[in-house]
Amino acid sequence: MTGQSAASRLQPSRLRLGRRVPNLYAWATILPVLILVAAFTLYPFGFAASVSLRKYILTQPNSHPFVGLRNFSQVIGDELFATSATNTLIFTLASVPLVTLLGLGVALLLNHPLRGFGVLRALVLLPWAIPLVSAGIMWKLILHGQFGALSGLLFQFGMIKDYIPWLSDPSLAMLSVVFAHLWREFPLPAILFLAGLQNIPPELYDAAKVDGAGVWARFWSVTLPLLRAPLLIIVIYETMIGIAVFDMIYVLTGGGPGSATTLISWFAYTATFKFLNLGQGAALSFIIAIALAVLIILYLRVLPTEEEATS
Amino acid sequence: MTRSNRLAHGVLYLCGAALALYIIAPFLWTLSASLRLESEIVLRPPNWIPAQPTLSNYLYVFTGQVPQEYGERGLLRSSITQEALRLPQGLVNSLIVAVLVTLINLSFGALAAYTFARENFRGRSNAYTFILASRLLPPVAVAIPIYLIINQLNLLDTKTALVLLHSAFTLPFTIWVLTLYFQSLPREVEDAALVDGCTRFGVLRYIVTPLAAPGLAAVGAFAFLFSYSEFLFALFTTQTINAKTVPVLISETANNPDASYTLIAVGIVLSIIAPIIFAIFFRRFITTGLAASLGK
Repeated sequence: MTGQSAASRLQPSRLRLGRRVPNLYAWATILPVLILVAAFTLYPFGFAASVSLRKYILTQPNSHPFVGLRNFSQVIGDELFATSATNTLIFTLASVPLVTLLGLGVALLLNHPLRGFGVLRALVLLPWAIPLVSAGIMWKLILHGQFGALSGLLFQFGMIKDYIPWLSDPSLAMLSVVFAHLWREFPLPAILFLAGLQNIPPELYDAAKVDGAGVWARFWSVTLPLLRAPLLIIVIYETMIGIAVFDMIYVLTGGGPGSATTLISWFAYTATFKFLNLGQGAALSFIIAIALAVLIILYLRVLPTEEEATS
Repeated sequence: MTRSNRLAHGVLYLCGAALALYIIAPFLWTLSASLRLESEIVLRPPNWIPAQPTLSNYLYVFTGQVPQEYGERGLLRSSITQEALRLPQGLVNSLIVAVLVTLINLSFGALAAYTFARENFRGRSNAYTFILASRLLPPVAVAIPIYLIINQLNLLDTKTALVLLHSAFTLPFTIWVLTLYFQSLPREVEDAALVDGCTRFGVLRYIVTPLAAPGLAAVGAFAFLFSYSEFLFALFTTQTINAKTVPVLISETANNPDASYTLIAVGIVLSIIAPIIFAIFFRRFITTGLAASLGK
């Protein structure tokens, strides 16, 4: 970063030749983007930081006294915090492996150059391409307690006596959300893994075959190590998605029944927009942001780099 | 083909069929639900294919003509009437916002990315890092202040606010992918054109843009799909049909306990047509764009 700007300072020839125009051009082209990004991310972030340290309730618009970390301690002390943090942990621990494994399985399947699989590769994009809200509501119709297709199917085959309220039964709601989320999320890992698989030189498999490696041995010793980069990206990305999941909860369960599917981001949303307590909402958002940052750093540390993997 | 080979193929095709069913079954159920009368919804088990397929639900959304059956049974409540009838305008809003966001990404995004790829100027790395790092903030962390800013700019309940917000959220990814893409193009032709007196903008316009068309198609598709689908910010910066987008409208319909199951299904079908066409049309670019973002 500094190395480059120092280097350009060490090149007076550019100035002597009167080439200041490119710099003007450069700034003119990036300035609109810089302003937009600063206005809607940097400034709001600073603002949120300030709000999180104040008592800031929309119903009391004229008084925002500084309260230090009290918003943070109040939020963490809230009994919904423990519930929503636990729910988020359960949701993430269930959904990240499921999404990753299904994505990997689909990629391994689609990697076979069979006739007709081209159509499948196009189909796989669909759950990912449609709005999350649309996917959520589709599943709401499928899981509906009175007219849902899933209950209908099980009923048709005589596997259940009565329709099951998948989304309003506290013990089933979380599972149902995870499955709806899985359908929506597996395409991205599938596409990334497929791209990774297609980058593996076939000679490696030939060499492994010559060495007498079976299908499993080839998978463990060739495929999986070479998929480390997409795997890392997918696990980090899906964890972030899991922690930030919002749209799906909004349309499927609204955090309920009770607090059965109240995840941490839903808790932050209700604090902010239902109870209009912006200070606590901002404090919660910061806790989420910090958790995400810690997780990303942890992942990057735990998973070996590519050089280590290949050496 | 040996026998074990044929068996393997059979297993693969079986898995493929299961996958296809898993993906399209929810779509088919939604479509089938949207094509039936409300009275058919309550059947247990349901008619998987409607006994009397009807377009009357769609007709209602576009013309306001109440399907006969609803009128007779007094099933239609005022709330759902309004919400479902707003869908066509919501579709227009969504498409306007998404197209504008795409155009901003393709113009301002490409302009900035080309500068990052080829120009050397003081502050380049800092500006680049700043733009990319902005994506690491979770949206919920900036939601409140963004609401206040939009309010201060007097842009609440406008499509302009959505265009600005969605552009701010998509441009970093666009610039990242396009910068890598531009850097991967051969430099010599561009340098020759510069020596011949072509401006940097001229080089981008006449030489680089045609070469980078696949990359531009990919980021354009991402920007479109993101903006069309975005929900959280559309939810709390819009209030009326003046700016409400499709995801907001269908979520209202779906969260209305009085809402008719069939009309909700109609809403979903209408909301997914554009992105599905888009995804299929730009499939190749989307796939390669995603693969490129693996960071090679």
